[in-house]
Amino acid sequence: MPGPAGKHYRGNRKTSNQTHTLASVARETATSLPADSPVLAIFKDAARKLNERQDRHERLVKLSRDVTIESKRIIFLLHSPITKESSENTLTEAKDRMQKLINGPIRSIGLELENSPAHLHGRAVTAGFQEFIEARTLLSLMADKRIITYPEVQKELEYEIKDDDDADVDNQRSLVTMLPESDYMLGLADLTGELMRKAINSISSGDSEECYQACQVVRHLYTGYLGITGSRLLVRKLSTTRANVNKVEMAVYALKVRGGETPAPLLLPAAPAEWEPPINLSDDEGYY
Amino acid sequence: MCENHVINSLFTDFQSNMDKEQEIREVIRNICKDVGQISREATTVLQVIHHNEAGINPACLKARELFEKAREGYARLTEALPPNDYYKYQEHWRTMTQRYCFLIALTIWLETGILATHDTIAQVLGISALERKTGFHLDIEDYLNGLLQLCSELSRLAVNSVTRGDFEKPMQISKFVMELNAGFRLLNLKNDHLRKRFDVLKYDVKKIEEVVYDLSIRGLRPKPEPVVDG
Repeated sequence: MPGPAGKHYRGNRKTSNQTHTLASVARETATSLPADSPVLAIFKDAARKLNERQDRHERLVKLSRDVTIESKRIIFLLHSPITKESSENTLTEAKDRMQKLINGPIRSIGLELENSPAHLHGRAVTAGFQEFIEARTLLSLMADKRIITYPEVQKELEYEIKDDDDADVDNQRSLVTMLPESDYMLGLADLTGELMRKAINSISSGDSEECYQACQVVRHLYTGYLGITGSRLLVRKLSTTRANVNKVEMAVYALKVRGGETPAPLLLPAAPAEWEPPINLSDDEGYY
Repeated sequence: MCENHVINSLFTDFQSNMDKEQEIREVIRNICKDVGQISREATTVLQVIHHNEAGINPACLKARELFEKAREGYARLTEALPPNDYYKYQEHWRTMTQRYCFLIALTIWLETGILATHDTIAQVLGISALERKTGFHLDIEDYLNGLLQLCSELSRLAVNSVTRGDFEKPMQISKFVMELNAGFRLLNLKNDHLRKRFDVLKYDVKKIEEVVYDLSIRGLRPKPEPVVDG
């Protein structure tokens, strides 16, 4: 290599000669490459693989968004009923829509991932799965008074697929949309936010029993999360969960203190004004 | 309250699964430590190419022996890995695998002067090149990353060959890296780690071009090709 002086000299020359030498090396090679060179073939193959992967990722992100939106709507629906009678209808509708969700976008996710490693695209679908779990567990809690467990949810995501194209061959096969357990636990952490909301709503509708129950479930969940070690993602959610516990406990406290001196019907107008702001400030829906 | 029992079991189940995962991680980490050590050894062995022409062939042979050992390590890794979870634990062997891709590609280039394919490298490591739902394989991105490392090493080799008085090798390297450069341009890279590594390639290309340039203007190119006349 040239010394400092040489460098300077070369630098001068380079400006005048650059187009003929430095760049010409690149041009020469580029033009001398035959279109069917083995190296280019390798890269064309690699490009195909990378593109496939990226396209699949994009499709999954889209599906995941569909799942998120529908789950949010189901949750909203579950919050809407005021009276006991209307809640029956709501539950039926929610169950119906949940089934459609499982057989629609979530099934498509399973199909998309049928032949590829599921964890490769874990990040594309985790948001949708978490929201789905939030809706699914809330539904199970309201319909059956218990939280659906992870194996039970996973079982619901098993499908039997029939290919109609080849009628002559028995093409029935089973398909599983693999739900990571961590997504289940993260979704369950979000459930505390929904329960908090529900508890507060139930104060405003004068159903104090339901409020206490929801509060108790939130407490149990929080206690459970405190005992879990070794998951970074869960630790991040824990502060939100703690905030939810605080809010719901304050609501129950207020109900006890003020509910004791006021007849239940009078609580109706008073409670929302008191408790609406914290609902809106809740940050558990940070995605949008 | 009946809720409490259900919720408790929910968390104990999760915790026990987490513990199992930790154990698997521990096993994988230990294997990766061993196999990673072999890769460092191979890297050291191959450093000789920069200062000793005669040492290249023995170094390749020695590297091949080490790849055999690595192959055993990868077999153990395949066994330890739960079939569905390649990408769950990938971080543990990712860097190491990229390094192996580089080392194997370098060895094959030194031996034959051609580019090792994805399949060839996977074969040397005794793993599959196909990305399937289950099992262990050589990820395409790791392969490409290895090739980019190869370009950096070759740019260094181009300089050192000239120092050694070998004016033929830089020409060969230049042609080879140019081809790779053209190849990488075909890829549609996202803004991820592979893209960042790819951005380094232009400096390697530039370094090699400068070497070729220096040789050309001093008339040191082995068989002067007709320079494009302006």
